[in-house]
Amino acid sequence: MRRGKDLFRPKEYVKPSSVAEAIKLLVHYGEKARLIAGGTDLLVEKDPQIEVIIDVAGLGLNYIKTDSRGIKIGAATTFAAIEASPALGKSPYGILGEAAHLMGTPQIRNVATIGGNICSAVPSADSPPALLALAATLVIAGPTGERTMNIADFFLDARKNALNRGELVAEIQLPTLPARMVATFVKKGRLAAADLAVVNGAVSLIRTTGGLCEDVRIALGAVAPIPLRTKKAEAMLQGKKPNEDLLRKVADCAASEIKPISDVRGSAEYRRALSRVLVERMLMDVVASVSG
Amino acid sequence: MVNIMLEVNDEKYQVSVAPYETLVDVLRDRLGLLEVKKGCDEGGCGACTVLVSGKAIYSCLMLAVQAEGKVITTVRGLVKDGKLHSLQENFIKCGAIQCGYCTPGMVLAGKAFLDENPQPSEGEVRQAISGNMCRCTGYQQIVEAIIATATEDR
Repeated sequence: MRRGKDLFRPKEYVKPSSVAEAIKLLVHYGEKARLIAGGTDLLVEKDPQIEVIIDVAGLGLNYIKTDSRGIKIGAATTFAAIEASPALGKSPYGILGEAAHLMGTPQIRNVATIGGNICSAVPSADSPPALLALAATLVIAGPTGERTMNIADFFLDARKNALNRGELVAEIQLPTLPARMVATFVKKGRLAAADLAVVNGAVSLIRTTGGLCEDVRIALGAVAPIPLRTKKAEAMLQGKKPNEDLLRKVADCAASEIKPISDVRGSAEYRRALSRVLVERMLMDVVASVSG
Repeated sequence: MVNIMLEVNDEKYQVSVAPYETLVDVLRDRLGLLEVKKGCDEGGCGACTVLVSGKAIYSCLMLAVQAEGKVITTVRGLVKDGKLHSLQENFIKCGAIQCGYCTPGMVLAGKAFLDENPQPSEGEVRQAISGNMCRCTGYQQIVEAIIATATEDR
């Protein structure tokens, strides 16, 4: 979909040497500036409004660190690095590694960053459902300092995120998750690779020793203006012992909470039907993956 | 316009570029490296694939200014002293080249992959070229050429 890409004519490319400098530039230029890390969304969109490009790829925001409070991922970390990370390959964090593996293509993953993916706020982005299921928190840096935000509050509308002028996402934090948490991620596109999701999603939950489902999270993408958790469906399963009939009802409920549209990749009806199937499959997967 | 230095295939080039010029356009139009193909100009086909710091990337989705100071390799850079790289030889031997348009990108995707995965499975090879489209071959001969190269290097 061309948007007059020949009109993309930014006048300046700046490489600040610190996050603080990048923030000053964002405050100064406002709507006329855009951050670039990988650039694989920016250079497809080629928004003619962009006058200044601010390169944040080299500001040291490229890391995956584990400590006692969980895992911290720099916003400029590439999907290739996330895909290859042992820490993000272990259950339940492995769903982020899986989402990274299914995003784009090898060439895109080598440069595309998780911060860029999140900030694009496209409904079909692959990292948000996994991040919703993993209770991720964003660290946002801006002119008044740092603040944190639950990932669920970050997406306001299609391609609209919650950043104020001068702010950037610096880090994604995943909490220490209980050993009894299980999770799964799925992405369905028209093609086996190199395609945007028709529906993507993630499920995470904790199986208590008594076999009950606690802390249920069902996240879906590409089926609403924003990636979202289907809260009513989650509540149906919360505190219950899972059986096939219940999981089917939970999946039905999840499919009723979404607002898919028809586009070139699929009809709204297909997306709704597919969401129902995928939620049921994901629930059966996580339930089966815990024995007893 | 900005003056930047691009290091391509072990040669350093000084070039004046606009902030919005992509690497594919600068490599082709300013440096005359026409082996870098432009198939879609939107990160969908892989024909523009080059190696930057040894990693396969789409040169249509990178600004030339982003590539300053990085080591860039085009398919021409695989030829040493007039001799083709074994991967290029195997593309020829296995019939992996028909129209040739996807070939530079395919070879570089294969090269970057083999450098990290010297003993791949067929499935892993197919994943490695999942960012490169071929309209002619049906991919089979390309996969065989990459596997043959891995086998020889063992």
